[in-house]
Amino acid sequence: MLGLLLGSGADPLDHVIQHTTLDLNPGGGLWSFPVLSNHIVMQVLAALLLIIVIPIAVRQRAGKDEVGRLVPRGFGNAIEGICVALRNQIFQPNLGKYTDLFSPYLWSVFFFILVSNALGLIPLGDWFSFVPGHLVGGTSTGNIYVTGTLAVATLLMVVINGLRFHGGAYVAHFFMGPPYLAWFIAILEIAGLGFKTMALCVRLCANMLAGHMILAVLGCIAFNFLEILVAFLHAFIFTTLTAVFIGQAVNIHHDHHEEHGHEPQPAGAHH
Amino acid sequence: MHQRKYLGALLAMAALALAAPSPAHGQHAEPAAHNATTTQQPDTAHGADAQAGEKSIFGGGIGNVVWTTVIFLVVVFVLGTKAWPQILRVLDEREKSIRTSLENARREREDAEKLLVQYKQQIERARVDATAIVDEGRRDAEVVRRRIQDEAKKESDEMIARAKREIQLATDAAVKELYDRTANLAVDVAAQIVRKELRAEDHRALVLESIERMKASKN
Repeated sequence: MLGLLLGSGADPLDHVIQHTTLDLNPGGGLWSFPVLSNHIVMQVLAALLLIIVIPIAVRQRAGKDEVGRLVPRGFGNAIEGICVALRNQIFQPNLGKYTDLFSPYLWSVFFFILVSNALGLIPLGDWFSFVPGHLVGGTSTGNIYVTGTLAVATLLMVVINGLRFHGGAYVAHFFMGPPYLAWFIAILEIAGLGFKTMALCVRLCANMLAGHMILAVLGCIAFNFLEILVAFLHAFIFTTLTAVFIGQAVNIHHDHHEEHGHEPQPAGAHH
Repeated sequence: MHQRKYLGALLAMAALALAAPSPAHGQHAEPAAHNATTTQQPDTAHGADAQAGEKSIFGGGIGNVVWTTVIFLVVVFVLGTKAWPQILRVLDEREKSIRTSLENARREREDAEKLLVQYKQQIERARVDATAIVDEGRRDAEVVRRRIQDEAKKESDEMIARAKREIQLATDAAVKELYDRTANLAVDVAAQIVRKELRAEDHRALVLESIERMKASKN
């Protein structure tokens, strides 16, 4: 059904591209400034869902007594289950003692991407086709600017927290290897940060675009299930890689000692 | 406190996003712009000026960056204050609760084991005491039994002796009475024999003699 609905459009691209209703700088390319589009509406919808549902869900407790307060109930189980699994399996091994500092940010990233991905699977565009200008429906995470912003957020979290916890040592750890190669390696390392960010951005965007285009073209139920998997998978991948990158930045001394023993060189190799 | 720390990072990100496109954006900005301009031609030709560049999968612009930044910051901030601290607190409390429960259980088990040892010792002591008490009781009972037995024997001996004495007395009295009666009987028999032997003159003489005796006694 879902697939048929999705497949009902004439052009598969209609399901994935951004339909801008109001642009402050139309045709401006990068500098165009959409203020109202279906992707923006879907992002707001995702944000509202998260802001309303998650705080209510996490307050669902089995009871008010000492033990009941610690036991989640209903939908709270799902949210807490995901949070605990991410924290124990992904954040803890990567972030170590900083786990609880970054967990809230990473959970927010995960759920924001997950809900944005999942909302794109619901054929809202067809249900609300009476709304003018395709304002409802679409996958906001299939928009390169959206995923780019999220990836830049990751980059900033990495760099700012690396500098915050290690200051000069964080900068120094880019300059590794023999002195005549240090600058070259540093340039590669710093460029690598950019590439990693870009890979995050492109991976999520391309998967969402491609997946939803396949749905639109094939209209097959089996692909819907695959896309549900992909929606979770890419939220997970983005969050995991963010945790890994932040972990590499904030745990440089730890890694350094593990990998190089008592080598006096302040550089740490993680990549 | 945690929120404030990474909130600073995100605010910086917002500032950066608003001020200038990041290198990451710059890299894919070109194809986006390129696509926008290439697809713009047919659209404008059809008179859909508001939809310019719409057919590109890289459609969008800095406006999306601003919106995403704002929306993402709101989500991070609201969830960071309303939802995640609750989960972190519960996780922490649960961890503490489990640790406390396990420690309590261990301590209580140790206490129980100590108590068990104590009780076993007490029971052992009680058993020894009980045996001692029973033994002592048995000894006391033996002593009492002997005493009672002795007393009974003594009493019975006394009773026998008294009985013997009484029997002896009774025998003596009987013998004496037998003698007396025999004497009387003998006297009676003798008297009867004597009465038959006496003659009238003898009677007369005896009566006279008795009268004489009475007269003499009156005088």
